[in-house]
Amino acid sequence: MEDKEILEKFANPDSRNLAFNQLIRKYQQKIYWHIRKMVIDHDDADDLTQEVFIKVWKNLENFRQDAQLYTWLYRIATNECLTFLSSKRKKFFLPINDVAAELTEKIDSSPDIDGDEIQLKLQKALLKLPDKQRLVFNMKYYDELKYEEMSEILGTSVGALKASYHHAVKKIEEFIKQD
Amino acid sequence: MKNDFKLSDIPKRNIYEVPDKYFDRLPAQIMERAAGAGYSSPAPWYAAWKPFKLAMAPLVLLLVAGIVYFSQLRLEKEEPAVILATVADEAIMDYLSTYAVLESSDFSDISSLSKPETTAEFLNVSSKAAEEELEYYQLDTIDY
Repeated sequence: MEDKEILEKFANPDSRNLAFNQLIRKYQQKIYWHIRKMVIDHDDADDLTQEVFIKVWKNLENFRQDAQLYTWLYRIATNECLTFLSSKRKKFFLPINDVAAELTEKIDSSPDIDGDEIQLKLQKALLKLPDKQRLVFNMKYYDELKYEEMSEILGTSVGALKASYHHAVKKIEEFIKQD
Repeated sequence: MKNDFKLSDIPKRNIYEVPDKYFDRLPAQIMERAAGAGYSSPAPWYAAWKPFKLAMAPLVLLLVAGIVYFSQLRLEKEEPAVILATVADEAIMDYLSTYAVLESSDFSDISSLSKPETTAEFLNVSSKAAEEELEYYQLDTIDY
C-alpha cells in the first residue's frame, strides 16, 4: 500500500486501525534495524520501536505531507535513540566511553549477535564514534539513504553529512588497523 | 591488521538477530498498545492563533489602559461645564443676586463712613468737647 493511501485511510475513523496496521508492517523492519544498530540490545530496540509507533499513532493526523512519511518515521526513531542514549548516560552518570564499553560488552555476550571476527570488530569500532556520527554512518552505509534524505531526517546540511561520513570511515579504518 | 585496510574489504552484512517470528508479533503488540493510547485529532484552525494571542495580550492590555486613561482625561476637562449645566437657572440667579446684595451693602457702608457724624461717633466725643480740645492745643490757628 502506498503512503498516500495509508494516510487517507488513517484519516477515516472506520479504516484507521487497518491503515495503521499496514503502516507498521511496511516500516517496522526499517525502524527496528535503525534503532537496533544504535542501541545494540534487542529488548531496548523492541521498547523503542514500539514507542516510535505509538508516537506515530498519536501524531499521524497532524503529519504534514510536505515531508515523506518514511523520513518523518526515521526522524522520530532517530530522536528516540539519541534521547535513550543520552538518558542512559545521565541516569548512571556515565561518560561516553563507559556507554560504549557497556554496548561493546553486549556485542561480545549477546546471543542475538552472529558475526565473524571482522564484523564484530567493525561494530566495536562503530561504538567508538560519537552518537550522531554513528547515526550518519549507519544511515549511509547500512540503510543506503541518499544524503538529501539524511539531511531531511537529521536537519543537517548535505555537505556536513558528507564530511561526517568521510571522517567516520577514516576513524573506523584506523580503529580496525590498531586493533 | 594490514596497514592498507579499507572498509570496503569487509562484506556488508547485518550481524544482529531477532527472536523467531518477532516481526510477525510486533504489529499486534503495537496495535494493542495504540488502542489504549488514544490519538490526537488534527489541530483546529484557531490553534494556529494561540501564540499570536499570547503575544497580543500585552498590546491589548496597553490599548485598554490607554482608552481608559484618555476617556478619564476628557471627563475631567468637561466636568465644570457638565456640573454647571446641571444647576438650575433660579439657583444661578439667587447666587448672583446674593453677591449683588453684598456688593450694595459694601457700598452703603462706604457712603455711611463719608458722613461727619460717623467720624464723631467713631471717636466717641461730642462736637463741643472736640472744639474745646482744638482751642486748648491751639490747633485751629495752625496753618497746614
